[in-house]
Amino acid sequence: MSERIPITLLSGYLGSGKTTIVNHLLRAEKNLRLAVLVNDFGAVNIDADLIENSDATSVELTNGCVCCSIGDDLGAALSAQRERTPPPDAILLEASGVSEPARIARLVGHWPGFTLDAIIVAADGETVRQRAGDKFVSHLVQSQLRCADIIALTKTDLISSQACLRVQAWLRTASSAPVVIAPDGAVPPELAFGANSGQRRDGSQPEDSEHPAFATFTWTPSHPVDIARLQAVLGNLHEDIHRVKGQLVDARTGTPVLVQKVGQRCAITHASKAEQFCLVMISADEQMDFKQVAADLDACAVASR
Amino acid sequence: MAEITVFTAKKIHTMNPSLPHASAVAVRDGRIIEVGSLETLKPWLDQHAHHIDNRFADHVIMPGFIDPHLHPTLGAILLTCPFITAMEWRLPDRICPAVTSHEAYVARLAEIEAEFAGTDDILVTWGFHRIWHGDVNRAVLNAISTTRPIFVWQRSFHEIIANDAGIEWLGVARADLERHPQIDLSTGRFFETGMAVAAQSLNKVLMEPTRFRRGLELVKQAVHLGGHTTIGELAYPLLDDAREWALLSDTLERDDVPFRMKITPRALGRGKFEGDASEDVERIKGFKGRDSHRLFFGNSVKLFTDGGFFAELMQMMDPGFIDGHHGEWLMAPEQFEKHARAFWLEGKQIHVHCTGDMGVELALDTLEKLQAEKPRFNHRFTIEHFGVSNPEQVRRIADLGAIVSANVYYLHELGEAYWQKSIGFERASQMARVGSLERAGVTFALHSDFTMAPALPLNSAWVAVNRIAESGAVLCAEECVSLDAAMRAITIDAAYVLAMENEIGSIRAGKKADFTILEQDPWDVPLEKLRDIPIWGTVFEGTPFPHSK
Repeated sequence: MSERIPITLLSGYLGSGKTTIVNHLLRAEKNLRLAVLVNDFGAVNIDADLIENSDATSVELTNGCVCCSIGDDLGAALSAQRERTPPPDAILLEASGVSEPARIARLVGHWPGFTLDAIIVAADGETVRQRAGDKFVSHLVQSQLRCADIIALTKTDLISSQACLRVQAWLRTASSAPVVIAPDGAVPPELAFGANSGQRRDGSQPEDSEHPAFATFTWTPSHPVDIARLQAVLGNLHEDIHRVKGQLVDARTGTPVLVQKVGQRCAITHASKAEQFCLVMISADEQMDFKQVAADLDACAVASR
Repeated sequence: MAEITVFTAKKIHTMNPSLPHASAVAVRDGRIIEVGSLETLKPWLDQHAHHIDNRFADHVIMPGFIDPHLHPTLGAILLTCPFITAMEWRLPDRICPAVTSHEAYVARLAEIEAEFAGTDDILVTWGFHRIWHGDVNRAVLNAISTTRPIFVWQRSFHEIIANDAGIEWLGVARADLERHPQIDLSTGRFFETGMAVAAQSLNKVLMEPTRFRRGLELVKQAVHLGGHTTIGELAYPLLDDAREWALLSDTLERDDVPFRMKITPRALGRGKFEGDASEDVERIKGFKGRDSHRLFFGNSVKLFTDGGFFAELMQMMDPGFIDGHHGEWLMAPEQFEKHARAFWLEGKQIHVHCTGDMGVELALDTLEKLQAEKPRFNHRFTIEHFGVSNPEQVRRIADLGAIVSANVYYLHELGEAYWQKSIGFERASQMARVGSLERAGVTFALHSDFTMAPALPLNSAWVAVNRIAESGAVLCAEECVSLDAAMRAITIDAAYVLAMENEIGSIRAGKKADFTILEQDPWDVPLEKLRDIPIWGTVFEGTPFPHSK
C-alpha cells in the first residue's frame, strides 16, 4: 500500500478566521500539492486565483447522528482524492464552525488511505473568551480549544497588545496547545503541514516560495536512541517548538521508529521503512534557540546494548 | 359537475366542535358538500343528482389522518431492509413481531438468511439493540453464514456489525480497518466514525436506484396503512434536489396514490453551516411554481438547532447527561438566528427541529428577539420533536405564540432507556411534555418523523393519552393528554401546524373529502386499546382506497 496521505484539520468556531488561514496557506504553500476540502464552498470565500495551486472541493458533512448524515460525502471526497494521479501530497480540511474536531479527526484520520497530521484550531482574539462563556456554545468552543494541537490566535490586530496578552494567558488555562499569533491568518505552512512541506512525495523539485517567519532545526543522532529518555525530552520541550518529526533507531530493539509531535500530541510508533535518521523541529518563533534541546537530545543517543 | 356521493356511517367524528358528530357526509368533485344526517342533507339531495354509498354503515369516519413530519426518502432507504426489532413494527408488506432476546434474534436472523437462499444479495438488517438482543458479534453472524455478507444495523444507526463475508465484501484494505479505533474486527463492530467506513460501501447498495424506488413504493404503502391522507415532508431535500424531485414526483404524483404531501424545504442546504441567508431566501422562492396536485410547497421553511434524539446528541441544559457527554448543534446558534431572522422578515412559517431543552431554549430566545424586532401574529413558529423541555418553556411557547409538533413516541421507546442510561428518571419520564401543552392551550400535533417512530397516527395518539413505556409502565401520567386533544393532534391541529386547516383536518362543508375509515370508535374503546383499532382504509378526495387484505 502506498503511503497514507496526511490531513491537516482546521477547526474553530464561526467567524474565527478559518477561511483567512486557508487562503493564506494556499498562497504561502507552493511546494506541496494540496487538496482543500471545505464544508460549504458557496459560503467560504477562497480566493479564486489561489485555486489553481490546489484543488478545492466542497463537501457535505452534517453534524449529529447517522440518520442526519446519510449521504455525507466527506469519506467519498477523501477516497476520490486518493484516486487522483498523482494523489495530493496533503489535505487541508476546513471543518464547519459547529463541528467537534475530535470527532472529525477520528473520521478522517482513520479513513482508509489517510492519516491525521495536525488539528489547528482558530481562535478569534476579540471574541473567543466571551464565546467560551456563552449560554449556547460554551461547551463547543471550549472543547474545540481542548482538542487543538496548535491554536492560531486571529484578529489580534483588532485588539490592544494588553488584551492580546490577556487572551493568550486565558488560552493557556483553556488548552494545553501552544498558541501561535496569526493576525492575518499567517500560519506558517511548515506548522500546518510539517517538515514535509517543501518536499513532494514524488520527489520532484519544488519552486522557491515565500514563507512567514518560522525557525527549523534538524538533529541527527550519533547513535540509536533511548526511547524513554526521548519521551521525557519531548514531553518537556519548549512549548514554542510546535512540531517534531523524523525517524530514529530504538536503542533497545535496534528497529526504526517514527517520531511525530504536533503541539502536545506525541506519538512514537513502529516505522514501516527506514529513512534518514534525524528529527526535524519547527517553531513559529523565528528567534527560537535550539541549543538546549540539541544538548538534551544528544543525551538520549546511546550506543546499542 | 359530478354526481354527489353520500357516505353514511355508524358514526362520523367531524373534529369540528360546532357539529362534532354526524351520520352522513355528501361529497362532490373531491370536496365535502355537507355533513350531517340524511335528513339534514335533504336540501342538497333534493336538487342534485346523488347516490347513497352505505359501505361504511358499520364503520366510523374520521377526517383523514395527518402526519405533519415524516421523511419518505429516509424511509425508502430503510424499508428495503428486513427489520428485527425489539418493538413490533407493522409495515405494509410484513408485520415484524417484537424480538426481545438474544436467542430469538439469532433464530430470526437465520430464518431471514435462509429466505435469501438462491440470491447473492447482501443482507442488511435494521433494528438491533443490545439492551434486548445481547451480544450479536462476528462469530454469531459467521455461524449464520460464512458466505453471505451480513450487516446488522443498530436501531439508533450508530453501529454496524458484520460477519467475515461482510468485512471482506466492504473491499477496504485490512490494514486500514485494523488500525481504526472505532472498528473492532475481532467482534465485527463498526461504530461511529468506523461505521462511516462501512456505510460508504453499503450506501451503494441501499441507494441503488431500483432498490430506492422499491423502498419509496413501500413508504407509499406504509403511509396509506397508517390511515394518512396528508403528510408533511419536513426537510427537503434529504440528498439532492434534482434526483429526489424526479423520483418523488414520479412515484407519488399518480392516480393510485391516496395522499398528498406538503413539502417544507430546508432553510440551508444540507451539510451547510454558514450560508448567506439572503441566498437561501432566493433559493426557496425558486421552489414556487413546481406544485402539482399531490406535491406542493407552502410558505414554510425548516431550521435546526440541536442533534438527534435517538443518537443522544440533543443539547441539554444543566445538569446534562449522566455520562457527561455533550450534544451537538446542527447549526451555529448565531447562524440559526440569522437565518431565522431572514425568513421571519419574509413572513415565513418557521419549523425548528429541537430535541433537547437547550435546543428549545435557543429557538425560544431567538423567537423572542424576532418578536421584539418585528412583531407577528399567527406566525406558527413550530417547535418540532420536543424531546426534552421544561415547564417554564411551555409557558414561554404559549407567551410567544409558538406551536409544537411532537414526537411523543420517544417516551414509549426511549423513556426507560434514557431514565436508566442517559438523563435520569425526572427528565426522561417527562419527555414529550404534551400534557403541559394541552393545559397551556398550545396547539400541538403528533408526528412520527418516520422512521424515528412507526407511521401510525393511532399509535402516536395511544402514547400521548397513556404514556405507556416499553416495559408497560406508565411514565409521568401528569403529561398524558385527553383523548380529544390526541385525536385533534393527528387531524385538525396537525392541519393547523401545516397551515392547511382551511382545506383538511376536519369534516365540514367546503373541505377536501379526505376520510380515515375505522372499524371501531376511538371514543368507545379503552384508551389502552386505541392503537389496536383496525383501519379499513381511507377516502382521498372522495375516492375510497381500502387497505388490501
